Amino acid sequence: MILNEWVFVGLFFLLGPVLLVVPIALSKWLAPKRPTPIKQDAYECGAEPVGLAWKQFRAEYYIFALVFLVFDVELVFMFPWALAYNKLGLFALFEMVIFVLLLVVALVYTWRKGALEWS
Amino acid sequence: MFTVPSLSDLNLAATLPATLLALGASVLLVLDLFVPKGRKALTAWLALAVLGVSLIVALLSLGDVVDLGTGEGAFFGLYIADSFTDAVSVIVLVTAMLGVAVAYNYLERTGMQRGEYYVLLLFSALGAMLMGAAGDLVTVFVALELLSIPLYILSGFRWRDEGSEESALKYFILGAFASGFLVYGIALIYGATGTTAFGGIWAATRDLLAADAATKYVLLLGAGMVLAGLGFKVAAVPFHMWTPDVYQGAPTSVVAYMSVAAKVGGFAALVRVLAWGLPDFVLSGQSAAAWQSTVWLIAALTMILGNVVAVAQNNLKRLLAYSSIAHAGYILIAVAAMGTAGVANEAARAVVIYLMAYAFTNVGAFAVIVAVERDDGGHTDIDNVRGLAKEQPVLAASMAVFMLSLAGVPLTAGFVGKWFVFKAGLAADLVPVTVIGVLTSAISAYYYLRVIWFMYFEEGEGKAQIAWPLAWGISVAAIGTLILGFFPYLLSDMARGIALAFGG
Amino acid sequence: MTGFLQDIGLSYELAVLVAKALGVAVVGAFGLLWTLLGIWIERKVAARFQDRVGPNRVGPFGLLQSIADAVKIILKEDIMNRHVDRWPYNLAPILSTLSVMLIWAVIPFTAAWVGADLNVGVLYLVAVGSLGTVAVIMAGWSSNNKYALISAFRAVAQLISYEVPMVISLLVPVMLAGSLSVQAIVKSQHIAYLFAVPMTVLIFLISGQAENGRGPFDLLEAESEIVAGFHIEYSGMKFGMFYVGEFLHAFTLSVLTALLFLGGWQGPLAEKIIPLGFVYLLLKSVFVYFVLIWVRMTLPRVRIDHLLNFNWKFLVPLSLINLLVVAFLWKLMPDTDQINSFADALGPTLVLFLANVVMFAGVAWWLREWARRDREHIEARRAVVAEPAEATAAAGD
Repeated sequence: MILNEWVFVGLFFLLGPVLLVVPIALSKWLAPKRPTPIKQDAYECGAEPVGLAWKQFRAEYYIFALVFLVFDVELVFMFPWALAYNKLGLFALFEMVIFVLLLVVALVYTWRKGALEWS
Repeated sequence: MFTVPSLSDLNLAATLPATLLALGASVLLVLDLFVPKGRKALTAWLALAVLGVSLIVALLSLGDVVDLGTGEGAFFGLYIADSFTDAVSVIVLVTAMLGVAVAYNYLERTGMQRGEYYVLLLFSALGAMLMGAAGDLVTVFVALELLSIPLYILSGFRWRDEGSEESALKYFILGAFASGFLVYGIALIYGATGTTAFGGIWAATRDLLAADAATKYVLLLGAGMVLAGLGFKVAAVPFHMWTPDVYQGAPTSVVAYMSVAAKVGGFAALVRVLAWGLPDFVLSGQSAAAWQSTVWLIAALTMILGNVVAVAQNNLKRLLAYSSIAHAGYILIAVAAMGTAGVANEAARAVVIYLMAYAFTNVGAFAVIVAVERDDGGHTDIDNVRGLAKEQPVLAASMAVFMLSLAGVPLTAGFVGKWFVFKAGLAADLVPVTVIGVLTSAISAYYYLRVIWFMYFEEGEGKAQIAWPLAWGISVAAIGTLILGFFPYLLSDMARGIALAFGG
Repeated sequence: MTGFLQDIGLSYELAVLVAKALGVAVVGAFGLLWTLLGIWIERKVAARFQDRVGPNRVGPFGLLQSIADAVKIILKEDIMNRHVDRWPYNLAPILSTLSVMLIWAVIPFTAAWVGADLNVGVLYLVAVGSLGTVAVIMAGWSSNNKYALISAFRAVAQLISYEVPMVISLLVPVMLAGSLSVQAIVKSQHIAYLFAVPMTVLIFLISGQAENGRGPFDLLEAESEIVAGFHIEYSGMKFGMFYVGEFLHAFTLSVLTALLFLGGWQGPLAEKIIPLGFVYLLLKSVFVYFVLIWVRMTLPRVRIDHLLNFNWKFLVPLSLINLLVVAFLWKLMPDTDQINSFADALGPTLVLFLANVVMFAGVAWWLREWARRDREHIEARRAVVAEPAEATAAAGD
């Protein structure tokens, strides 16, 4: 029965893209195609682009991604907890308080270290 | 339907030393953020206090003064609380305390003073402790990572220096590789036995062998991979490549701590896995556990390579790196001896005794290098200790004690350690490897005595910078080395209670 | 349906498969077509907020405007930067819409109509929903355009940051219902969770809006700064795909809010007359959608540092506190694991509601304090700046 449900999801994964590709294919078939070199330049509000866009970039974004990773992985562990919460004793709450406190330690650390500042 | 666990099922009291340390480290991480930059001494003191409290609890538990509910284990068997756990905890905590003492001035004068140093040190100490307490392969893995990751960061603590960065990166990449081996091994063992708990593995091994199932080869492969993963941590040949480079590049105060802590953790886990999980993994037609021959082969290779290459070293940090490889070899003799039924308890005690002796000695030896080293990280060659005895007689004397102890000269802790290890080796009928151990010890005497020779009988201007926490650390290490050498029963008493739970 | 297919000669398995495939087509097409209506609603409402009339030429009340736009966009030329990284570039618009459309697979439209009632539904929502972020980054990077790249980086910072409070707030209905299945969560709402945990709903909506990159959080495509953001190099139907994806996302967020917090299809007689549930769900969703447009039209765009501060220093801690408070009270009350009727739910709902009122009051107080201190800080600084100027002025007299 469960598997039956997954068949639907699987079909969605297969047929969903088809539904989306159809309009794009239709457009490709119907729309005009007259490329010129100017048209095919990167769009920078009319200014001529200098060089390509694939360059080094600021590391701040990367730090946020790292902080996110810490939280996201821990959140996955919280799902089973929430799911079984009604069946567990007060013990579960105690455990989760410790777990969240560890998260908070990480948050306080990144906060105080200024990793959350945008400079 | 599963049974609903309650708080008392965790048996938290049994984990008190580790729990206190974990709590202390987490609190310190936050507290340190509010300690202003110039006053990191406070953080160092707090770290010492946390370690001290944990050490006292562990000592009381080890001495059977208080009963924390040991023997029952905690966290549903993930954590074993017995004498071995306590002994490992004591060794690790002593090492960590010495590590903090050694580090403070060094960090100050080399401009690396940051509160994270102490916090990371606490966390890695926790990891090493948990490795000794592991009752499950999962705990082994988590503890290993907790031990290693702070060490990777600490190795790169002098991050403006290329050598330190290289050391951190090398250690990290190879370490991650080794962790991969370990996890793969754990997966194979789980595949073969259907459990990751040592008790379960032990029981499943018997059934497996009784049924003579082909899966025993899967188990063999798994055990081999776990051995490789942990062998990396303890720097056993052929997984030793990282050791000299990392020890040379990393800040010396880090090496002082890391060289011992990683070894203690690695060997503790090795003892747990092999003696608790796989003691009865004896293939048909053999008298000892299947892993014994591999381990003693590794031991022999490690001793030979470590000692022979160390002879050629002129940099003190590299010299001690190869020496630490060699010492891993000696301990591996005892580990191999655990494979023989009836010797396992004695061998496990020998491992603990050796590690305790090694902790004092090796931290002390590196602490002397810390004193000799200049602020820029240079000046760690053997030439730089020429004539140190004239300039710093006490320091030179301490170094001499450490060198003699590492060489295994009687009346030092090192001798006691070697004595017990070789005894275990002979008791298990591992005569060839024990003989190799004795012979290579003789080789090692050459390069250890060479350091003493340079300090006392060569002319030169060996200089050192000593401030009181460092002096305190070195003296504790030197006195500890001597006391344990003069009163060996202190060590054997400490290890007395260690007994295997299964088999043996 | 399956019966009919079996009658025309298909085996049982094949019949089930075909029926399911038809279901997929219906749900997917409904999602896409609804977008056309959704865009019309949005434009009309937005126009009202700006004191305009909105689309009113094509068809009655301009209802056919979206269809005209769709036809137009299909006929548009597809202009492509010659430096793009082709595979990710072409995949991104499809993935962007697909990530939202896949969510519809687990939506229970009524008591009986549900595509797939997964027992890990909520986890599925989180997993599939975060694919959209990947699409944005793919588009921004592969376009090889500086504006698009900046937008992609902002996406990294913004979209993933706001995923944290969103997922934390999703834990609350899961905990209250004791199930990850969306249908089970709907059924367990004898009283809509909105009344029990309004704080959670607020956090979910705010972070959802940010995930969506709309409303005050539209830094990804801030016209005045980075032109069109990650889809600057897209035109024609590929741009249309992003457009559809964004609107569908906004509406899906409304549907999810309706399902998880407003009782979904539940309403008078919904259990008996099945299609009625669908109407209830649509009404609730459109209501939430209206609120979202309202927010979008009212608030000015936030700055990126404010945006991130707001998330990490306010929303994340708040959502964690909220989760623990709800969990604590839930455990404190007796029999919360057996709520089978309106009467059972009344007590716990009241308690949680009061707790939320206290929390709201606390947050309001804290925000006021914070704002006051901020103001004082600014005034103090202004005084320092102003003083020397006055002094010079006085000397000049």
